[in-house]
Amino acid sequence: MRDWEEGRKDREESQKRLLESLSMSISNLGRGWKIYRRSLLAMLGLLMVLSVSMVAIFADEIAVQHPYRNLTDTEDKWSNNPDQQESPPFSEECSLREQKITTNPSSPLFSETVVAESVNKVSGSIAYGYYTDVLSITEIIKIENDRGYDQDISLITIDPDNSSLFVLSPDLYGNSSHYTGVWVTYLYENEDMSHWWLPEGYDTCIFGTNKEGHDVFSKVVYGARVSLTIGITVATLTVTIGTIVGSISGYYGGRIDEVIMRICDVFFAIPGLILAMAFVAAMRSVSSLTFPVWLGILLPVLMLAYFLNSHLSTTVLSGDERVSDQAMGMLMGNRSLLVGLLAFLFFVGWLPAFAWPDFFGVSHSRGWRLISSLVVIVLLVGIILADRRFVQKNSLDGALTRIGSSFDWTNPWRYLNFRTVVVFLSMAILFKLSGNEGPEIVLIKDFDKLWQVQFALIFTGWPGYARLIRGQVLYVKEMAFVEAAKSVGAPPSRIMFRHILPNAWAPLLVAFTLDIGGTILSASGLSFLGLGAAPYTAEWGLMISESRVAFQRAPHMMLYPGLAIAVTVLGFNLLGDGIRDVVDPKNRR
Amino acid sequence: MRLHEFVVRRVLLLIPVMIGVAVFTFAVAQIIPGDPAALQCGDKCGLIVGYDDDGKPITAHQANRERLRLDDPVSLQFERYITDLINGDWGESQKNGRPVIDIIKTSAPVTLEMAFFSLMIAYPLGIFLGIISAVRQDRMFDHVSRFFAIAFVSLPIFWFAMLLQLYFATGPQVGGICDPIFGTEGGCFPIFDRHDQSYTYPLDGYHSLYPESGTGFHLIDSWFVTDAKLAELPSEFDTNRELFMDTLIHLVLPCSALGIASSGSLLRYMRASLLEVLHEDYVRTARAKGLSEFRVVVVHACRNAMVPIVTILGFSIGGAIGGAVLTESVFGIHGMGTVAVLGILQLEYQIVMGVTLLTSVIFLLSNLIVDIAYAIVDPRVRLE
Repeated sequence: MRDWEEGRKDREESQKRLLESLSMSISNLGRGWKIYRRSLLAMLGLLMVLSVSMVAIFADEIAVQHPYRNLTDTEDKWSNNPDQQESPPFSEECSLREQKITTNPSSPLFSETVVAESVNKVSGSIAYGYYTDVLSITEIIKIENDRGYDQDISLITIDPDNSSLFVLSPDLYGNSSHYTGVWVTYLYENEDMSHWWLPEGYDTCIFGTNKEGHDVFSKVVYGARVSLTIGITVATLTVTIGTIVGSISGYYGGRIDEVIMRICDVFFAIPGLILAMAFVAAMRSVSSLTFPVWLGILLPVLMLAYFLNSHLSTTVLSGDERVSDQAMGMLMGNRSLLVGLLAFLFFVGWLPAFAWPDFFGVSHSRGWRLISSLVVIVLLVGIILADRRFVQKNSLDGALTRIGSSFDWTNPWRYLNFRTVVVFLSMAILFKLSGNEGPEIVLIKDFDKLWQVQFALIFTGWPGYARLIRGQVLYVKEMAFVEAAKSVGAPPSRIMFRHILPNAWAPLLVAFTLDIGGTILSASGLSFLGLGAAPYTAEWGLMISESRVAFQRAPHMMLYPGLAIAVTVLGFNLLGDGIRDVVDPKNRR
Repeated sequence: MRLHEFVVRRVLLLIPVMIGVAVFTFAVAQIIPGDPAALQCGDKCGLIVGYDDDGKPITAHQANRERLRLDDPVSLQFERYITDLINGDWGESQKNGRPVIDIIKTSAPVTLEMAFFSLMIAYPLGIFLGIISAVRQDRMFDHVSRFFAIAFVSLPIFWFAMLLQLYFATGPQVGGICDPIFGTEGGCFPIFDRHDQSYTYPLDGYHSLYPESGTGFHLIDSWFVTDAKLAELPSEFDTNRELFMDTLIHLVLPCSALGIASSGSLLRYMRASLLEVLHEDYVRTARAKGLSEFRVVVVHACRNAMVPIVTILGFSIGGAIGGAVLTESVFGIHGMGTVAVLGILQLEYQIVMGVTLLTSVIFLLSNLIVDIAYAIVDPRVRLE
């Protein structure tokens, strides 16, 4: 192991190089920005995307109300007056409430003082619960009996000490004609509605309320969060999957390429929305996304094995013929068998009849799972990180020093090594996931309808990227620098990640940006059809769908969410077009 | 390569894709949770319907499983699925036992009709605006139309359709802009269904307005429906011409929604393609000959610029069918999209899979036709 001081020169050199590349990329960015700035539409798009993102990030600050909060106790009121089911924009209804008061003294609910409170519905992602808010009364407007006739307003007074208490007069509960209860309409101090950015005294619902009494403005604001999350999650995951599949297809070519492209053809043959619908239908009863523990262990191991494989083929098989090499060659020759075995394990694991979880654990205890998986990982990490010559020399002599030198901190690049990152990441993920109880690792606990939509869109989206990346890889693969890298013996993974992909990112970035918009559109479309978000969620498509019963009488319920979708998607589309102009000068017309 | 060779090759290439789609629909139907047999008998599953050879009772549930042969191995089921598909047996609705192929027969033409007319709106509109936009490149018109093109691509189509409903609906509307334009009788266009009186029900069947042997295309069927048939129905239409006009007018809003929304991308394609062509040498030659600008653009440039537009026709059909799902839902039209959505909501997976299969067949066939047409027009394509 070398000393810290010894490596100083190396570190300074690498620092210098890092700074150089950083300044170069900054100047590149500056040039791109100059081109981007020229287009008015692109700037408009950037502005839209930024403002929607800001709204999504600061939704808690901007929104006036919790999106599921029932501002007016409208359900009671509407049963009396169906014409006013939805309050129009800029309505004062948010500070007006009608409450039923029990006036029958023999009823268990009866008391002489009644708390003014509103029953609010609050729904989390799945649960749909209630809570009550105590309101501070400012004025009693009218009192009606059960049949809707106005009563004397002095029958109920406000408690002078506590402004949130009604005091019933004995005339009210002593009179048997009121025994069915009365409805009191009152104004209340809506503290939640007076907000820092609203002008003083302007406690109205800006976009009105919907028929549940939810504030449409707050729902639209929170909807930005939902939509952007869906858009970015789906686009990121589809890009990742598509890039992996597409680069494998393009780089290796041949039969793999043929198979992958035929699979893509199948996906392309079905119109996107219908395909997504079929997937949503298939995932209908999935409530949480889990996978068996053995898979959680196998996947990182497989990944490591892949890198080990490329090392073996470059370091071992190219050397002179020795016994150990022949053994290794046999192993490599039969690697299709190994892969087949792993695939068999993989598929058999899905069958419930096979008690897989017991394969790795004597028990299902979390400690055992943790230890066993860590042992596997550490073993492989040790071998790969420490000792690439282990297989060659076939002995453990000096293995310790070699392991030590692999953690050589004088070489700064080692920390940035892709393989190291992968190993540490998989360790961290494994460590985290092993904490779950039960024989399965829970990846997504609440696999609610929003997740189902996201999965359906990911599943339908990746072939497009795969084809795009494949084309790029085929194009870049033929260039001279890739040939050069191959001729000096760089392994495929290195060529892929260091040489080909960095040169193929431009169309990917454009497609990614455009895809965020497209995903938001499809997700809202699915929600609109009733196949997406759960009822009452603050999702724009769902809000439009819920407004359909009365949109001709109350267009505000559909106008604002639709406008929000349009602005967001338009923003991403304009942004994507602008980026295309920057990265692809051919299209700049 | 000769033309017929090209066609044969292209058709042969379709086969693996079709098999893949069938595998996909089969797999989804397998993965989907729930027992079709139990769904079919509902709360009568426990009823004993007979006895087997050993004298053991057979419940309705078991009988259903036997009839649907759900206990067979997956490979056998798949084999039977494929043969059934080829023989035209696409399964049946689990609730009322109607064959899926019947449901699709009544719903698919409705969607196709809509997709066709929407493309009839989208193509002329997109191409015309695209040409003007390219000719007046970087002028005001260009900027405005490009912005609107992107805006129409970004609009959620269901929302756009609802806006049309809001502003062009028949009858006294809040904020409707129709009344002043079209007179007092309230309104422009009907906003719901395919007739004023609906005779179709998506999953239950086709109700007796048209003859059983009808094509399913409402426009065609309404043209050929006999006056005698109309007279015995409780309808307000006296002649089939009235009915035809009614069906036609019911198409206006849905097709405009779909057509205008998809014209945006066509405009962009046309503009880009025409700009490319306008920089070619032969256009410069044509200009140098002193031809009028109109003749240069329309006769010389547009013809060549149209070729890529024709190739995306296949994709437009796919897009139109996808968009039709949403538009149908808004306008209450009982096409394939409505059927698919109802199928999913009512757990009728056979129907969903049938619709998926059929849309992919339509999509693939339209792409095939476009490719062949392209190969006829441009022989270079065949050389690949």
